[in-house]
Amino acid sequence: MRLFALALLASPAMAQGVEIPHYIDETATAGISSTYAGEWEFMTGGGVAAFDCSGDGKPELLLAGGTQKATLYRNDSPTGGALKFSAIAAGVELDRVTGAYPLDIDSDGIMDLVLLRSGEDVVMRGAGQCQFTRANEAWGFDGRDLWSTAFAATWEKGQTWPTLAIGTYIDRTQDAFPWGSCTPNALYRPKGQGFAAPLDLKPSFCSLSMLFTDWNRSGTPSLRVSNDREYYKGGTEQMWHIAPDAPPALYTAAEGWKPLKIWGMGIASTDVNGDGFPDYFMTSMSDSKLQVLAAGPDKATFKDIAFATHAIAQRPYTGGDFRPSTGWHAEFQDVNNDGVQDLFVAKGNVSAMPDFAMKDPNNLLLGLPDGTFAEAGDKAGVASFAQARGASVVDLNGDGQMDIVVVNRNSGAEVWRNDGSSTGHWLQLALHQDGANRDGIGSWIEVRQGDRVQRREITSGGGHAGGQVGWWHFGLGATLAADVRVIWPDGSASDWAAVAGDGFYDLTKGQAPMAH
Amino acid sequence: MLRREFLSAGVALALLGGTARAGAETREGVAAQVLATWYHLALELVRHTPTYTPPVASRTLAYMGVAAFEALASGDARLHSLVGQLNGLTALPDRAAGQGYDTAVILNAVMDGLIHDLFSNTGPTGQHAMQTLTARLAQQAADGVAADVVAASRSYGATLAAAILEWSRTDGGAVIENMGFPATYTLNPAPGHWVPTSKIVLQQAPLLPAWGKNRPFAMPAGDSCPIPPPTDYSEDPASAFYADAMEVYTTSQSLTDDQKQIARFWSDDAMLSYTPPGHWIAIMAQVAVEKGVDLTAQVEALARMGVAMADAFIGCWQAKFDYDLIRPISYIKKVIDPKWEPMLNTPPFPEYPSGHSTQSAAAASVLTALFGDSYSFTDESPTPDGAATRSFASFWAAADEAAMSRLYGGIHFRLAIQNGQDQGRCIAAYAIALKTRV
Repeated sequence: MRLFALALLASPAMAQGVEIPHYIDETATAGISSTYAGEWEFMTGGGVAAFDCSGDGKPELLLAGGTQKATLYRNDSPTGGALKFSAIAAGVELDRVTGAYPLDIDSDGIMDLVLLRSGEDVVMRGAGQCQFTRANEAWGFDGRDLWSTAFAATWEKGQTWPTLAIGTYIDRTQDAFPWGSCTPNALYRPKGQGFAAPLDLKPSFCSLSMLFTDWNRSGTPSLRVSNDREYYKGGTEQMWHIAPDAPPALYTAAEGWKPLKIWGMGIASTDVNGDGFPDYFMTSMSDSKLQVLAAGPDKATFKDIAFATHAIAQRPYTGGDFRPSTGWHAEFQDVNNDGVQDLFVAKGNVSAMPDFAMKDPNNLLLGLPDGTFAEAGDKAGVASFAQARGASVVDLNGDGQMDIVVVNRNSGAEVWRNDGSSTGHWLQLALHQDGANRDGIGSWIEVRQGDRVQRREITSGGGHAGGQVGWWHFGLGATLAADVRVIWPDGSASDWAAVAGDGFYDLTKGQAPMAH
Repeated sequence: MLRREFLSAGVALALLGGTARAGAETREGVAAQVLATWYHLALELVRHTPTYTPPVASRTLAYMGVAAFEALASGDARLHSLVGQLNGLTALPDRAAGQGYDTAVILNAVMDGLIHDLFSNTGPTGQHAMQTLTARLAQQAADGVAADVVAASRSYGATLAAAILEWSRTDGGAVIENMGFPATYTLNPAPGHWVPTSKIVLQQAPLLPAWGKNRPFAMPAGDSCPIPPPTDYSEDPASAFYADAMEVYTTSQSLTDDQKQIARFWSDDAMLSYTPPGHWIAIMAQVAVEKGVDLTAQVEALARMGVAMADAFIGCWQAKFDYDLIRPISYIKKVIDPKWEPMLNTPPFPEYPSGHSTQSAAAASVLTALFGDSYSFTDESPTPDGAATRSFASFWAAADEAAMSRLYGGIHFRLAIQNGQDQGRCIAAYAIALKTRV
């Protein structure tokens, strides 16, 4: 009897047949002390960028600070050990930063940054060793003076320089009647080794998340834009054709696009239903959406399966606050390494809206083998009631287990270490190619185990005000091996190659996978 | 001509102020501008405050209208207070004898107090806007007025607002929890009753099931204007109910462009528009300007319109939950065509009668009583989708079109429209009968 009890203690917790990961709150000891501060102009935003700039393979973190300065934290965590970060002077210490995304803009192999701000946006060139310098002038980037809240990037066909999309929010000067004052989103296309003047993406409807995504695997990504219906008039969710050498054009009803009006705040994407096409989870208030293709790749029509699959984050599941939820950053990752994508949603009241939960726990929705989801945030230990905004689900200590960092509004950021008690195996894969777009943004990574293939579109953008570039993580479940291949942005596919699980691999175009 | 969309000053509501501008810098002109600006903000807050579904919006517009009227009636011997005429309104504070007052300052204080309270749950942007207008309009209203008059007027306005709010607390509609959707609700499992029509978790229970029990304003009770029961439920293709559903279905399959425009024009969705009562307030304001009515007539109209529409929603909701009828989308998908989708989103509450039909009929009844039965106008009020303006030969022509828009949109059967209009007409009679002039 005593032995049985010990065996129970040693076994991972389960939820509907899947392992619940165990997270250890290391906020107090990890060395991260940022707060996303500020009032009205900082009710949205609060993103975090995760990327390696020190060269040790572990991601650094850049946290937006609102009225406080943005801060870059160098990752000093020992592999598999407790999380340790050190704030360093990196040149990114600007105030009014709402969000941050890493992107090797000039394809020199050193990560650059895009800082979204309530004010002028700033692109920063990486100089190595986590040092960054302003590059607006050098790259011809017009940062405008708006309230920026969304970002996405792609390399259009034939281009050696990326195309950026930046979404903006309310006209800050309209203090009495701000509704309907959404300022223009912009598309920055290449001009030589820099950017042309921004092209307005009109109509603009106060976007809070954007994502370049190849929704129908046509080879040319489109731009999905999630918009906050609180501020637009006549608006809707949007998807733009961004065809090379052509003006942006909205998808139309004739193409199957159906209007959807939500308090759009964040986009997460992965292939949930295994049909080979990306699916999209959108956060909102009192609701969430999980869209899958409704009629195949020839028609831009999506159906919502959030309710049917329990991919819902519409009200607190713990803490006793009955009121509806407010969702922000969303991200698919496999947090228990069972080979099924899970979904993390950062939540928190806009400010003190009495009709919405003040104790609004983050969600950790575990993907189940039947395609549905089961809530495990409280059992996993990440059900914080702070006013969350941005987040990153990322392996911070290089042990193949996905850790979590969350930026909170007007309180300190939180960080949780996945203790690795899940029994599943994993892969961490990084993409490399020569020339432009060194990190292979727009590629698809496929991981095959038997008849089952996990697919992941490599994107830059989405979430809420922050993203990551670096290792792309796959859970493998009980099998310690898989075949991997990459479909590169130019459409070429690498050969399938067998790799052993529980390892990091560099996937370089034209080369066999190389253990890191 | 494309419908004017999102004009910065709020189109129709700014028109109230426009009347006053015709009077140059008169005190009445200032008062009208203050009133118009607060109404403009209120309609924006209706659009942007999470609990503001149409019934809730109608309630707030009623209290605002009554408060605006009483602000003037308290100092105008020609006007007859609504105290004693509206349910539960037994007393309001009087102005102090011998003290000078200013109407603009009083109106500003009353509207400020009411709007800050009734929209206290709006988001940070709404709070920001309210604070901005509080400062701006207080100065505008008081400009050129003696300090003692300003102080007395502000004090009186605040006291009047507090009294109106105190009256409002006991009507049953003051507290809206969970955005109006009950935490627990037992559906009637018998065929023909309402079932959820969306995949939004919140909407698995119907909106405001107890709203019909609220205290009405002018009509005696929620069931004072009963309507006949709906068609007997049946899934038999030979039944009258099946025929009613087939009319919705076949209509949706052959909508003309004009019918589609009508459905869009009157959709007035919660959280995306001023809602139906806000739409009709905007129409009223536009007509008031076109006819050049003075401030006194404006506040009379705002009070009657507000009362009529709020009572219409109470009466309508009473009947909706008495009959608890299934929506067309649920019936048609089950019995006729599982792939059918209506043009409009189906609201999350029972079908019979049609709320827009009931309250549009109530509004048209009041406007007809005020401005005549053949007043032609072009509705310039803003719609979220920027639909083209529509012109009407009378208020009833507009109300008839608003009612039929629900059939074109696929969210109501014809009987809900017809009987809803009858109910609205009956309910409006109580508001029209209110005595406002000595």
